[in-house]
Amino acid sequence: DATQGTSGDCEPCPCPAGATCAVVPKTREVVCTNCPTGTTGKRCELCDDGFFGEPLVQSGAARACRACKCSDNIDPNAVGNCNRETGECLKCIYNTDGFFCDRCKKGFYGNALATNPTDKCKPCSCSPLGTVDRQTSCSQVTGQCQCLPNVAERDCSACQPGFFNLQSGNGCERCNCNPIGSTN
Amino acid sequence: PRPDVHPLPPGTHLLYAQSGKIEHVPLEGYDMKKDDAKAVLHLPEKVIIGVAYDCVEKMVYWTEITSPSISKASIQGGDPVEVIRSDIISPEGIAIDHLGRTMYWTDSVKDRIEVASLDGSLRRVIIDSDLINPRAIITDPPNGNLYWSDWNREAPKIETSYMDGSNRRVLVKDDLGLPNGLTYDPQSSMLCWADAGTHKMECMHPAHGDRRQVMEGLQYPFGMTSYGKNFYYTDWQRDAVVSVDHYAGRESDNFQPQKRTKLYGIATAYAQCPAGQNYCAVN
Repeated sequence: DATQGTSGDCEPCPCPAGATCAVVPKTREVVCTNCPTGTTGKRCELCDDGFFGEPLVQSGAARACRACKCSDNIDPNAVGNCNRETGECLKCIYNTDGFFCDRCKKGFYGNALATNPTDKCKPCSCSPLGTVDRQTSCSQVTGQCQCLPNVAERDCSACQPGFFNLQSGNGCERCNCNPIGSTN
Repeated sequence: PRPDVHPLPPGTHLLYAQSGKIEHVPLEGYDMKKDDAKAVLHLPEKVIIGVAYDCVEKMVYWTEITSPSISKASIQGGDPVEVIRSDIISPEGIAIDHLGRTMYWTDSVKDRIEVASLDGSLRRVIIDSDLINPRAIITDPPNGNLYWSDWNREAPKIETSYMDGSNRRVLVKDDLGLPNGLTYDPQSSMLCWADAGTHKMECMHPAHGDRRQVMEGLQYPFGMTSYGKNFYYTDWQRDAVVSVDHYAGRESDNFQPQKRTKLYGIATAYAQCPAGQNYCAVN
């Protein structure tokens, strides 16, 4: 308030060097108006969209704003790709998931970090008849679905040799062929 | 008065979002009065994506993704009021039907399009299928049409429907990249878009289907609006508002705010509402 006529009328902006500030008339709150590139917030304490960090945290723990770190599993045309402070990835693509989009999402398996998008995460596609409780998720790494008794294959789509009747939905039954009359 | 010069109502502005602010630049004729650009609203903790203007009550509406919500405020000053705050994850484009007194928005995580009254009541989902990355949305209230873009990299498209979501149709799907910006020019009845993938600005007549290129070589368009003979778009690479002469098919001016950071949604704040009757009033 420059109208008081004292030496303390004008105070320096509580903003990083180069930034200007203004007083919100109603609340008398001081807000920085021209934060350094890549930063925003009342005190320039936040990162722009698409970046994360805590540029103003005191005590040496300050982290400059960096681009979202999401294992190349975000789209640069999207908005809000990561949390501006923690960096948690919010818009994973290619069926990936996790804090850094570094694993496959539920119902998919493979290597989220593969370079080629088609090699990343594939659908589990568990066979409903051969899978415990008709689950749709599988081992995130191997893709193995949880098979019913005597059911085989990654996707639980076939009976083990010597077993039949996948259609039952309760696992496969032993063939019980008479060894004398069978060909093998 | 010259017959080829249409006097413009005083006080038309462009409103655009940039890093926790909604700024405005006045238009003098079709020219941006760059020296008079300043902030309309300061929301330092927010990431504002979509901006829309209600010419009846002279309010600006915006979508925000840090505490996902839709808010509004009078452009003549006044406190922001939150109108939608629940069941919303990543709102992007927003459009006002100034005749029907409703707002429409896209949500790129919920993958749907919703409508509500301007106070947030009477909310309803109108489209919830076949959307991957819905972004821009615009209304054509006099004709009762809604248009939106989806930048799904596998199958980008521009769609239309009536304003209740019925009669949904794909208008454009070939030769599209990332159709981020969309606008409707009531004078020529053209639907126009700015594409950050093909780097083109194109238009088509929604009813006739004829499509034509306005210009190419755009860098990274995001938001788009139109006013008279001009299109205005925000560009993520240039951190600027660019004006394009619709008929000449070339860039006519650009404005780069002092602060160098991405610009998002852009809307035209008309001094007066465009002429037009409510489609419901005649039907």
